[in-house]
Amino acid sequence: MKKTVSRIMAALMVAALFVTSFAAAPKALAEDYVLPEYIEFQRDNPGYLPAEKDGVVYNFYKDILGFGVIMPYIEWNGGATYAEQINLRNTAKDAPDVYAVVNGMEHQLILDGSLLDLTDYLQEYAPHCWEMVGEDVWNLIRKNDPTGEGRIWYVPKVFDYQRHGAMIRQDWLDAVGKKMPTTQDELVEVLRAFKTGDPNGNGIADEIPTGGRQEARWMDFLFYEYGIAMFEGYPGWDIYDGELTYSAVTKNMRDALQWLSELYAEGLIDTETLLNSKTDWDGKVSADRVGIFYHLPQTDYVRALNVFNATGHKAQFAVLPAIDANGYEGCGFYQAVQSGDPQYVVRYTEDKGRIIACMKAIDLAYNMDYYMTIRLGPEGMYHKVLPDGTKEYIPEDKMAQERMPISVYDTVSNAEIVCNMLEEVKSEENAWAVDNSIRNVKEIQQYGRVIAGNNIPSTIYEDYEDISDRTLYVQYASKIIAGEWPIEKFDEFVEKWYKSGGTEVTERAREWYARMTAE
Amino acid sequence: MSTIAKTKNNHIQSTRSEFWYTFTITAILILFGILTAVPLISELALSLSSKAASDMNAVTLWPIGFTFDSWTHMLSQSTLWRSFLISVASMVLGVAAALIINMLMAYPLAKDDFPLRKALMLYLIFTMIFKAPTVPYYLLVTGLGLRNNFLVLILPHILNAYNLIVMRSFFRAFPRDVEEAAEIDGCGKFGTLFRIVMPSSKPVLMTVGLYYGVTLWNQHQNPLMFITDPKLFPLQLRIQQIVSTGAEIEAVTKVANVNYTANTLSAVVVLFAVLPVLVVYPFIQKHFTKGAMVGSVKG
Repeated sequence: MKKTVSRIMAALMVAALFVTSFAAAPKALAEDYVLPEYIEFQRDNPGYLPAEKDGVVYNFYKDILGFGVIMPYIEWNGGATYAEQINLRNTAKDAPDVYAVVNGMEHQLILDGSLLDLTDYLQEYAPHCWEMVGEDVWNLIRKNDPTGEGRIWYVPKVFDYQRHGAMIRQDWLDAVGKKMPTTQDELVEVLRAFKTGDPNGNGIADEIPTGGRQEARWMDFLFYEYGIAMFEGYPGWDIYDGELTYSAVTKNMRDALQWLSELYAEGLIDTETLLNSKTDWDGKVSADRVGIFYHLPQTDYVRALNVFNATGHKAQFAVLPAIDANGYEGCGFYQAVQSGDPQYVVRYTEDKGRIIACMKAIDLAYNMDYYMTIRLGPEGMYHKVLPDGTKEYIPEDKMAQERMPISVYDTVSNAEIVCNMLEEVKSEENAWAVDNSIRNVKEIQQYGRVIAGNNIPSTIYEDYEDISDRTLYVQYASKIIAGEWPIEKFDEFVEKWYKSGGTEVTERAREWYARMTAE
Repeated sequence: MSTIAKTKNNHIQSTRSEFWYTFTITAILILFGILTAVPLISELALSLSSKAASDMNAVTLWPIGFTFDSWTHMLSQSTLWRSFLISVASMVLGVAAALIINMLMAYPLAKDDFPLRKALMLYLIFTMIFKAPTVPYYLLVTGLGLRNNFLVLILPHILNAYNLIVMRSFFRAFPRDVEEAAEIDGCGKFGTLFRIVMPSSKPVLMTVGLYYGVTLWNQHQNPLMFITDPKLFPLQLRIQQIVSTGAEIEAVTKVANVNYTANTLSAVVVLFAVLPVLVVYPFIQKHFTKGAMVGSVKG
């Protein structure tokens, strides 16, 4: 009996030791690391100075994180040069510690083993990120894991608000005696009135009722009337006839293009709309010549101030409601951007200290406790303290300001955050324009709808770059809108699209959707 | 018609056709010159225009709301001048190094009695036709420790096969008798090259020097790949940084109360970079034409 008891006791002790050794494992990891002196964090840099070692921004983050953060300059160039440089550095095993990913580049990096599997580190070392993203989005990310093992390889953007929208000149509506249009017919009447009624009052018929930019971009709101999924001119994936389908090859698109070609023929869309660069189109808006333009309500105050600076007119931009096209009742919407897009990845490393430093840096981008600190940035570079103790932003000067590698706003955003930011930049002189923006940001929220193909991975286009670049679509859409080709050519486009890889891409997209919607 | 009259008539006809030939060529060249100058004039006009004019995209070939604000703002940036000096230094040192290396290689390759001539020429032509792919090139240069190193602005550019062939062609045409006379007078191979051949090779040195100079001055891809330290940014990289107005989605920031825009500043830096080349070019143009011709007709 005594022997049996001692055997049981011994077995229990061994079991206890076994269990406690496992339980202690993460703790041991936490205690055994040494944080690096600094890490490299990379993302887009639209022309600011780089964040250098021992520089102002470096020390700013060091005070918060306990280690410095550098961000050497990498040319962004719409993400193309950036992706090239990051890939090169990955080849040389010299990638930044944490970096933003663009255009689906993470897919190959995951398969190559260049990235760190974040699954086991997030909850412990990036708790704010873990909480902020939420279980639903983490589940989507797990389902998108290209290794098929349901791991988390990147942290996503958390954007929960309607960001884009069409802005209409309220002062022009008043000038031509029209009310805010709510139907397609009313909208066309308003466009006609803008064209002929001289709403800018300069005595010249130089008004452009509406328009957009080359490659049939930045006039998405005209397509939304037909329920077409589109983001900044890129057709998207949504449910049509009960199945996930590329919006560019639907009957909705055919009808939309026909309508757009009619507007174009009547001169209600800018005749240069298919040629306009960003500078061209922005120039027309700033020159007080455009009635409706599609962009971001949160920055329409910049356009309003430009118009005022150039012409002395206080442009009143208002939100154009989502409108249904005739025959498409209930379809009109504005496409919402939603959380889940890959944002940052961590370079593969076995150095525990470095891993933890990277996770801490990532966590900071989701930590709302530091929102204001990071938003204000380092004193003397991004803000100054007035004699009464209040802090005031220093106007943007890319020649003197270093890029802030980690920023809460670029990772986490919602209508409330944006409105607060607008309040922060408000002054006595610009209040009329900024208040307009705040109102518009709030108002646009009611029209947002998330499409079924939200966050669809770009890997569905693998081997079919022409479809991803929408080469065929741009060619046909542009010529049909400009009246060079009749609408019947659209059917030819659909046929060609499916033949040139569309069938395969559609299959992949539907497989993805089935996986995402499966329990 | 008498023979004299016929000859006179032919002469007039040939003079006339010569006139029209010259006229047409001149007219085409003037037109081409204007076309080339238009973007520069347009940039100049933009650089001297106000913020309002730039925001409205209203500037074409004449400044609107004339102001020097963009110029004074840009020229007061020490980083721009630093980059300018880096570009000048890399160009001067690079051209000097390139000319010495090219001359030392082209001269023996021009001599029929040099045994490795054919093999080396083949090797050179190979590099002219098959360029190194990006990834191995990146790994090699990085492996040599040239990342964020000033020498990366010079070393990869100092031996270009095409330029070497131009120089070799020039040396092949050099009178053998002169070299023999020098040898008889006691000149060694180096003495002949540096004391006899080099002083007579001004046209080809100017031409090849200009080719290298322009390449070094305009280099962008190499620094883009290998320089991330802003203290080492050459001018072209700095310009790209300034011209890069960046993302579509503008941040919500406080709008600065200034009379310039990203576009007017870009115009300034573009002109700032072009100006030195424009100033230098006329002085070496005569050598350039002569040297290029020499290189092009001799095999």
